[in-house]
Amino acid sequence: MELGFIVMILFYIIIPFTPWVLSLVGTLLYQPSQKKALFEREANSAKSGDTLSTLSKPFVGREVQEFELVMASVVMGPSWIQIAIGGILSLFGGEINTFTKVVDWARREAKQRLREQVASKGFDDVINMRIETTVMSKTRGNKDKTTGVEILVYGTAIKY
Amino acid sequence: MTITQSMGVVSGSTVRAKNVFKDIGAGLKNMVGGELKAYTELLQESRNEALYRMLVDAQSRGANAVVNVRFATSSVSGGAAELLAYGTAVTVQ
Repeated sequence: MELGFIVMILFYIIIPFTPWVLSLVGTLLYQPSQKKALFEREANSAKSGDTLSTLSKPFVGREVQEFELVMASVVMGPSWIQIAIGGILSLFGGEINTFTKVVDWARREAKQRLREQVASKGFDDVINMRIETTVMSKTRGNKDKTTGVEILVYGTAIKY
Repeated sequence: MTITQSMGVVSGSTVRAKNVFKDIGAGLKNMVGGELKAYTELLQESRNEALYRMLVDAQSRGANAVVNVRFATSSVSGGAAELLAYGTAVTVQ
């Protein structure tokens, strides 16, 4: 009787709900802390001006000494809770806030990584920058399960 | 430096997947949300491979530089991704 009760609790409550509790904790605590860290890094590198300056040729016609292809990428996924809320919101249409946040976060993270990479290699500027987005999905049965989005930021780093 | 000759468009591509255990790990991380490091790594590795194949293609045509490089990515099926790098092969002097 006692054992049966414990097994029942285990199978009907603990196993189905633990992932959702973890997901809730991740959404409310882990993600904001990561975003805060990202804001600090962005603020740090914004002090010396943004290196990701242009989508085409450089504005100033100075001689370029060195150049290199640089790229940075990140794969970010929404949590289960965000996917569930997104699914409910998509019934009504309009903006799906939870997904907007994740994709925006991923894009900022990728750009920040490129800035840090460029700064650590000692380049002055990035020209011809491009941003590429890909959805990584898993199909199980007939259901399309989105696991994440990949953001790639690349460009030509130059040194005057 | 000036471009003296164009050798046409060169490209390189690769389709890659992580192993099952990394996939499971990424699936667990997916619960919480945020960065999936295994996939970030996978795509970086395979993008370098695609870039390298593009360079090999360019070299076999006798070019010594590739300009206007572009990347494209598409996910083929569960956990596998196709990376394509393409650009114009040129000789520079």
